[in-house]
Amino acid sequence: MTCEELIAHLSSYLDHEMDAALVAEVQEHIARCRNCRVVLDTTQRLIVLVHDEGRRVIPASQRSALFERLQQAFLNRPQTLENSNLRTAEDSAV
Amino acid sequence: MPGPTIDLTVYENEEALLAGLRRRDPDACACLIKRFAPLVYAQAIRLLGDADEAEGVLQQTFIKACDKLDTYEGRSGLGSWLYRIATNEALMHLRQRSPRVGLDDLAETIQEDEMPQRLTPWTFDPTTAALNSELRAILEQALAALPATLRVVFVLRDIQGLSTEETAVALGLSESAVKVRLHRARLRLREMLAAYMQEH
Repeated sequence: MTCEELIAHLSSYLDHEMDAALVAEVQEHIARCRNCRVVLDTTQRLIVLVHDEGRRVIPASQRSALFERLQQAFLNRPQTLENSNLRTAEDSAV
Repeated sequence: MPGPTIDLTVYENEEALLAGLRRRDPDACACLIKRFAPLVYAQAIRLLGDADEAEGVLQQTFIKACDKLDTYEGRSGLGSWLYRIATNEALMHLRQRSPRVGLDDLAETIQEDEMPQRLTPWTFDPTTAALNSELRAILEQALAALPATLRVVFVLRDIQGLSTEETAVALGLSESAVKVRLHRARLRLREMLAAYMQEH
């Protein structure tokens, strides 16, 4: 396996979507290629690093103005029969 | 006479909130917003890379959600349902932004200039250290700098944690296109973050 081939298959390897035979080739390559080892390791770190970002919310300092505008947009939306009985109040902004 | 106040803790959990929404309790939508708006906004800004557009998506998402509660079947959580609406709204924005560059007509191979250039190991270990605000800002900039076609796949797969199949369905792409784009997004982001990592 060449470096180019390894880079092309990097995500399949990291996502465990690779045939066993190819996995062996990747492992053999990274055992002797320092650069590909670094790329593999740092890509793995990137994936771990962003993993928890999905649960991150907006900072509290940005919230209140944003929520106030959201609430106004919500209150001023075109009324339909279905939503005409819905109300919100000022304290729904956090 | 003061207006009615809302007790936002009135719903103990998601099931109770959903029941309130279905009964059309007057305060249920305000509670839905309070509970999920921070998540929806964060998702919108990651997908769009633009705060103003993300705010528009945030507003549209809740207006649609509260007006279309009848279409919510309850098979996924309310959060997932809202995520889906927000993602669709954000994708619509992206298509309007550059209508001629569809989300489905991008070169599907690794370009030569996408081969890794920065080959210094990182000292930062995400399994033991949390993201600080500086690194988070770098990550957000890097995400915003990705082409939308790659960014949306990366956000749905690696950040939101959808499967390849779920991402393909959400974006109307083949699974192989999702895989290639995810790979390209990772290579580009790695390169952008590596510039910061090797100095710290």
